[in-house]
Amino acid sequence: MDFVILSLIMLAIGIYGLLTQRHLLKVFVSVELIATAATLNFVMLASSTGQGLGEAFMVLAFSTDTAVSGVILALLVIVSKKYGTSDMAELAKMEAERAGEEEDAD
Amino acid sequence: MIFEVLSAGLIISACLAIFLDEAVYSVAALAGTFMFTALLYLANGDIYVAIFQFAVGIGTLAVLFLSGEMLSEKPKQKTSLRSGLTVLVAGAVLSLFPIFLSIPVSIASGSGVSFGEALWDLRAPDIVLQGLVIMTVAIGIAIVLYDRRNGEH
Repeated sequence: MDFVILSLIMLAIGIYGLLTQRHLLKVFVSVELIATAATLNFVMLASSTGQGLGEAFMVLAFSTDTAVSGVILALLVIVSKKYGTSDMAELAKMEAERAGEEEDAD
Repeated sequence: MIFEVLSAGLIISACLAIFLDEAVYSVAALAGTFMFTALLYLANGDIYVAIFQFAVGIGTLAVLFLSGEMLSEKPKQKTSLRSGLTVLVAGAVLSLFPIFLSIPVSIASGSGVSFGEALWDLRAPDIVLQGLVIMTVAIGIAIVLYDRRNGEH
């Protein structure tokens, strides 16, 4: 059983989701998976060395991760309420159209 | 054996979280990922980290379920049983790698610092500053919500 490979596979799944998914919530889920992979690797290595410093770092990392998640989710809700969609491709298209209209107006 | 089962569950639920079409199902699969991670920590003897993972996971998932309900649009076509099974099989195949492969890692022996000592003696300023950051975020959210409510009236 190797936790380094386990966390590498989790990281790969997260990066694949980050690159291929278009729904904003799915992108956020991918970011969570990447964070979980990193913490898993860190905690398992720290516990194999037998010292509590790694665990203490992870407790701090968990709370930072939660604060970041809250801010990302707030931005996500604001964007999807403003534009009426959560699809990144559609959002990019809308933004390009808006920029084009502004250029025409100038 | 328990580690193998937990790691297989972890990878399969991570695959489901990415590949399921509906956002709410995806969040439910992410809940499974968090649960398996916490159980893995628990089985490894890292009790404090497991408790934190449970607590943080529950908080994140509650907010994610709410926003998933708010943001999800009905997918044009439902996930077929065949594609669901394909994801399950892919996850099961991927979970074979950590069971049968290993990377040699040289680990230096630790100085034997306990969790409590590490948290309070070595990282106390971090904890205080992080508490301040989280409190500022909470106050900021409260102010934004208050302003929005006043704006609606």
